[in-house]
This record gives sequence, structure tokens and C-alpha cells, in this order.
Amino acid sequence: MSLHIRLHALENAKNTLLAQPIATLLTVLALAVVLALPVGLFTALANLQQLLARWHDQAQISLYLRDDASPQAIAKLRMQLEQSPGVVAVHFVDKQKALADFQHYAGMMAAIHTLGTNPLPASLIVVLNPLAQSSRELDRQVQQWSHEAIVQSAQSDLKWVARLQAIVALGTRAVYLLGALLAIGAVLVMGNTIRLHIEQRRDEIEISALVGATRTFIRRPFLYQGLIQGLLAGALAWIIVAISFGLLQGPVNHLASLYGTTFPLQGLHVEDGILLILISALLGWLGSRLAVGRYLNNTFS
Amino acid sequence: MIEFINVHKHYPGRRHVLRELNLRLEKGEMVLITGPSGAGKSTLLKLLTRLEAVSSGTLLVGGVDLTRLRRSQIPAHRRRVGVVFQDHKLLLDRNVYDNVALTLQVAGFSARQLDNRVRAALDKVGLSEHWREFPETLSGGEQQRVGIARAIVHTPEILLADEPTGNLDPALSTEILDMFRDFYRHGTTVLVATHDQQQVERLQVRTLHLDQGSLRESS
Repeated sequence: MSLHIRLHALENAKNTLLAQPIATLLTVLALAVVLALPVGLFTALANLQQLLARWHDQAQISLYLRDDASPQAIAKLRMQLEQSPGVVAVHFVDKQKALADFQHYAGMMAAIHTLGTNPLPASLIVVLNPLAQSSRELDRQVQQWSHEAIVQSAQSDLKWVARLQAIVALGTRAVYLLGALLAIGAVLVMGNTIRLHIEQRRDEIEISALVGATRTFIRRPFLYQGLIQGLLAGALAWIIVAISFGLLQGPVNHLASLYGTTFPLQGLHVEDGILLILISALLGWLGSRLAVGRYLNNTFS
Repeated sequence: MIEFINVHKHYPGRRHVLRELNLRLEKGEMVLITGPSGAGKSTLLKLLTRLEAVSSGTLLVGGVDLTRLRRSQIPAHRRRVGVVFQDHKLLLDRNVYDNVALTLQVAGFSARQLDNRVRAALDKVGLSEHWREFPETLSGGEQQRVGIARAIVHTPEILLADEPTGNLDPALSTEILDMFRDFYRHGTTVLVATHDQQQVERLQVRTLHLDQGSLRESS
């Protein structure tokens, strides 16, 4: 199909949208709000995950080593642990350091002195990213490590990791569901808008068909209308999300300062913003396609 | 060029509109179809533009059997035909130029080809000076001439007209039908449905009378 036919359809679509600027603006706004809600929640969820990742040092596993473990065997296991998925760091705590820490935190110096020897084992402290793997995989990994020849026992408290992962999974699923529902809403909004445009241009469609217009020719300006409005709505949704996160930054700063930390909110990344615009354009196109397809099937069957 | 072979048309639950229709039109021939309202004249033209499908029989146009045409092939067939309607069917929100250009836009003509052809078509129907005007500012006769320009702008092989003078006074009717005669003299096959007996007698071309779905040659 020649370029000038496409350009003519594009011109046609642009003129139709500009002929009714208020109606076009309202449609774009409605679509933008519908899209901004799930996108905002997605972005909030991404910020929450980033915040949780900061707490990774809370997810630790202590592998207590046998007294007869050689330094070579310990070094080998440590390297193996560092290369395992989800492991952020591995610290070695020797017997003396373990004793010093025990004395420092427990204040039981006298009791330890009566033993004559140091009863505390050396250990490898494995620091994990709690969101890198499922809690089941983490459990399996810990089980595997605890069966290493130089490991006497392993101690971990991964229940809270499981709970945290469940909450994050629930939130993600809820946002996906909401996103899917609102995407259907966006398609319906666009479909209804295009249906109204079709009604207004019924004569033009009928006469075009009489003089030999193909279904593609008739459909194309409406598809471009949907596409243009979708693109604009996507861009506007991005702006809405950016403004909303800007407005939330102040209260978040205040809350973070109460915990003695800072937390800069991350808005949509450029690549995510572009993806949002593309998806929005696709939804606009799809809504138009459904509306005009339905009309053509009913009218020219 | 056009051949109806035992063509039958009926609508579900209604009487037969056309029955056992046999008709042959040669290339470059002009034929008038007369008959009272409801005789089936418009239906006959709708079969030729494939706005309606034949119920039974064969309808050949330029060697193409319209009864075997797939839906996707109908637009290409319509681009070979020009149609003039009694009610003009003009787009009121577009000026004369754009109304005529629509046929060429649909056919995919480039802007330059389109401009040349639209101006030539408007010149042919005597509306060159009115190209910027909107249909509602034109008289009935002028509107019909815009409709004719739109029908001939792509130089169709066949020109069909359904009561093109139905709403016009006798002087304008003469003017419009003389235009059709000019097109036929230039090689276009022209088929005009009319009930204007005065014009039929004046034009002196082959005339067919359609009544209750049956066709007979008029003397």
C-alpha cells in the first residue's frame, strides 16, 4: 500500500481529532488516568522491593564449622558459597572472633574463663538477598550447605523471608490483575470513542464503500485515531506518575528520616516510560480495531 | 460487457424483485431502463455494483462473474464502475473538490494525478469555478453534476445512474442526460434507470422496460 494513502489516512485521523479538541482531550485524559493507576502501583512496588533489598543483611545463615576443618577446606567452601545464587556476601568468623563477640554481647566472661578452653566453633556467615530466590529454594540451599563435610550445623531463620516473599508476590499479583482489568477498560474506552466517531462519519464510510473503498481503507483512519490517542494517553500517564511520585517524595523523606535513613523514590525509568507509551498506543489501536471491525462486519457482511 | 443470464432476485419473505432476467449490453453501449416505481430498476443497478447479490443465475461484467465474487474482490469491481445516485450522496462537510477526489483517494491515486483528474472532471461537468464550494450552497442540478464528476473522475468502464434526473426540472434533466450521452459517445458503457418518458423519447437510445421484475425491449 502506497505511503501517500497512509499519509492521507493519518491526516484524516489528525483532522478528526483536532475537529473536536475537547472530546479528544477528555478521551486522552480518561485513558491516561486508567493507565496511570496500575503503572503507579507497579512503580511503587518496584520501590518497595528496592527498600526490602536494603534489608538483605537481615537474612543471614550461620554455618558452624567442625574444629578439625582445614583452612583450605574453609576457603574452598567460602568460594563455593560466594558463587551461589542470591548470596550477597560470606564472612568468616574464627573461634577467637566468635569468643570475643560472645563476650562482648553476652557479658559472660567469667563463665567462659572457668571452661579453660574456647567452646565456640568457627563459622561462615552467609548474607542473602531475601528476594533473589523463593523461600523453598533457599531452604533447599541451606540443607545442601549443612551437609557439607566441614559443616557441623547450620542455623537460619528464613520464616520471615518466606512471609516477605509471600507479601511481595501477593502485591505483584494484585497489581497484575488490576493492570489487566484496567487495560481492558482502556480498550473499551477507546472502542466506545471510536464507535461514536464511526456514527458521526457513517455517510462518509457508506459513500467510500460505494466508490470502491476496501475495508482496510475505511478502517485505517480510525486505527490511526486510536493509535494517536493511545500514544498521547501513555505520555500523559507517564507525566501523572512522575508528578505523583514527586508529590510523595516529601512525606517519604520525612518517614525515612524518622528511621534515621533516606529513601529517594524512583519514578518510571525511561525504558519503562517508553514501554508504557507503546502499550498504551497498542491498547488504543486494539480498541479502535475492535470497534471498527465490529461495525464493518455488521454493515458490510 | 454486461450480461444477465437468467438472473433472479428475491428478498427473504418478500416477492420476487427480478425474475428470469436476460440482458446483454455491449461495450460502449447506452441503455435506458424505464419502469414504474418498485419495478426493480434500482435493484438491477445494485446487482451491478454488488450492493446486492443475485439470488440465482449468472451476472457477467467485463468477463467477471459477479455471483462468484469474493467479499474482498468487491471494492476492486466497484472501482471499475461509476455510479450516480438520485439523492447525489455527497459529503456535506467536504467541498466540491474533495467530494470528487474521494473516488481517487479510495483508488490510491497520488496527489498530482488526483489534482489533474479532479480538475478535468469538474471541467467536464462545468463546475471548475465551484470547486471550493460546499454542496449545500449549490443548486440541485449542480449537486447532481458533482455526483457525476465523482462517478467519472476515474474514467470507469461502466457508468450507472439511478434516476439521476428524479429531482430536477426538465431543462436540467436534459442537460444531465446529454452529459451521459457524451460519455457513451466516448466509449463508456452507460446504463441509466429513469421514469422520465419525455427524456427517453428525446434521447433515441436503446430502452428496456422493466415491470414486475420482467424485462422487455421498448420499441
